[in-house]
Amino acid sequence: MSGWGCHVLRRAGSGAAEAGPVGDCLSVVPQLNDLLDRRIVFFGGKGGVGKTTLAAAFAIHSGERGIRTLLVSTDTAHSTSDILETVLGPEPRRVTGECWAVEIDPGHETDRYISDVKRRIAGTIAPRLVHEVERQIDIARVSPGAEEAAVFERFTRIIEELRDDFGCIFFDTAPTGQTLRLLSLPELMATWISGLIGRRKKVNMLARMWRNVAGASAVGVLAEDDPVLSALEERRDRFLRTREILTDRHQTAFVFVLTPERLPILETRKAVAVLSRYGIPVSAILVNRVLPFDADGEFLERRRERESEYLGRIDEAFSGFPICRIPLDDQDVVGVAALREVAATVYQ
Amino acid sequence: MTRRGTDLQQLRSFALQIWRAVRRRLRAAREIYEGVYFAPYRSAIHREYLEQRDLFLVLSFSDFLGIPNPVAFYTLELFPELIDQFHQWHVRMGMPRAPEGGFRCC
Repeated sequence: MSGWGCHVLRRAGSGAAEAGPVGDCLSVVPQLNDLLDRRIVFFGGKGGVGKTTLAAAFAIHSGERGIRTLLVSTDTAHSTSDILETVLGPEPRRVTGECWAVEIDPGHETDRYISDVKRRIAGTIAPRLVHEVERQIDIARVSPGAEEAAVFERFTRIIEELRDDFGCIFFDTAPTGQTLRLLSLPELMATWISGLIGRRKKVNMLARMWRNVAGASAVGVLAEDDPVLSALEERRDRFLRTREILTDRHQTAFVFVLTPERLPILETRKAVAVLSRYGIPVSAILVNRVLPFDADGEFLERRRERESEYLGRIDEAFSGFPICRIPLDDQDVVGVAALREVAATVYQ
Repeated sequence: MTRRGTDLQQLRSFALQIWRAVRRRLRAAREIYEGVYFAPYRSAIHREYLEQRDLFLVLSFSDFLGIPNPVAFYTLELFPELIDQFHQWHVRMGMPRAPEGGFRCC
C-alpha cells in the first residue's frame, strides 16, 4: 500500500501556485472531522468516481469511533454489498463495530407500499369490489415513477425514523442526476400535495354549506376529520420535515466525490450549482484517485502533469469548499479491512 | 292557599301552550323565508359542491385519464376513501357502468 499515508487537505482558493504534489502531508483535517459531527452525510458525484468506497470507508471509521452509524445505499446497482463483501437487505444489518448498513431496493419498497394500500383497502370497500380495485393498484405498481416514489418514501422514512436510533447516517447515493432528483423531490412533492390539500378543503367547505342548505340527509354523515385530508396533510408534513432536515447545515452535509478528470469536474460543478438552488449545503470535495507522489515511470510522469492541471482546476472551481485529496491505491479496495485503511489515510 | 296554587299552575301551562304555538309559527315562517331566500342559491351551491368534488377526484387520479400526475403513487392511498365518489361521478355523467381505463367500481 505504497500510496496510502499521504494526502493533502487544503482550503481551495489558496492558489493554484501553492498546490504542491500529493506528498505534502497534513495530519490535521478539521473540516473532515466536522463532517462526522453532522447527523446526515450524503456522498454524491459522477458514476464510477468512488462514492461507494469512500462512503463505506467513512461509515466504518465513524462506527469504529463508537458512533452508531448507518450506511444507506440508494444506488440500485447495490455496489455497497459487493464492496463490504456481505449481503445487505432492506433492514439495517451490522457490518462491523457500531457500523450498520442498509440497501434501498426499489422493487421491494414498491411492493411494501402497494401491499400496505391493499391492506387498508380491504377494510374499507365492499368485498365484491376488492378484486377490481386490486387490479387497478397492480397497474399503478408498474406505472412510470412508481419506483422513484417508493424509494423517496423509504428515504424520508429513514431520515425521520432512524435519525433517533443512529448518531450518524451516511447516504451512498446513485449517480448525480438521480440524486439531484431525489433531493429536489421534497419541495416538488410538498408543493403539489399542498395544492391538493387546498382543493380538498374547498370541497369540505362546500359540503358543509350544502348540508346547511339541504339538510344532513342529502350529504350523509360528515366526518369531523376527513380521512382524505388528514392523509394528505400527514404526507405533506413529512415531506416538509425532510426538506427542513436536508437544508439544515448543522444537521446535514453533502460531500462530492470526483476524480481529477475533465468530465467529473464539469458534472460536479453543475451539481453544486443545482444543490445550492435547492438550499442543500455542500460541505466538502473529495478528490479521489490522485496519483501518489512515489508512483514512478515516464508514463505516469506525463499523466501526473495532466493531473496537476486538473487539480488546479478543481481548486479553482470549488474555492470556498474544503478539498481533500485521496491517493490512488495499487490494490483494489474491497472488504472492511481495506476500507478501514482508506479512512486511516484521511484521518491520520 | 291551595286554590291559589292551582290557579298559578293553570296559568303557567296556558302560557307555555301559547309560547309553543308562537314558536311553531315562527319556525314555519323562518322556513318559508329561508326557502324563498335559498331557493335561487340551492342548486348553485349543489352544483358547485359536485363540481369541486369532481375536480378533486380528477386532480388526484388524473393519470387514469392519461394526464400525468407527479403524486399518482401517493394519491393511491386515497383510493378506498374516494371510490364511492367515483361511482357517483360516472352515474351523474350518464354512464351507468364505470368507464374503461379507470378503476371499475361496478
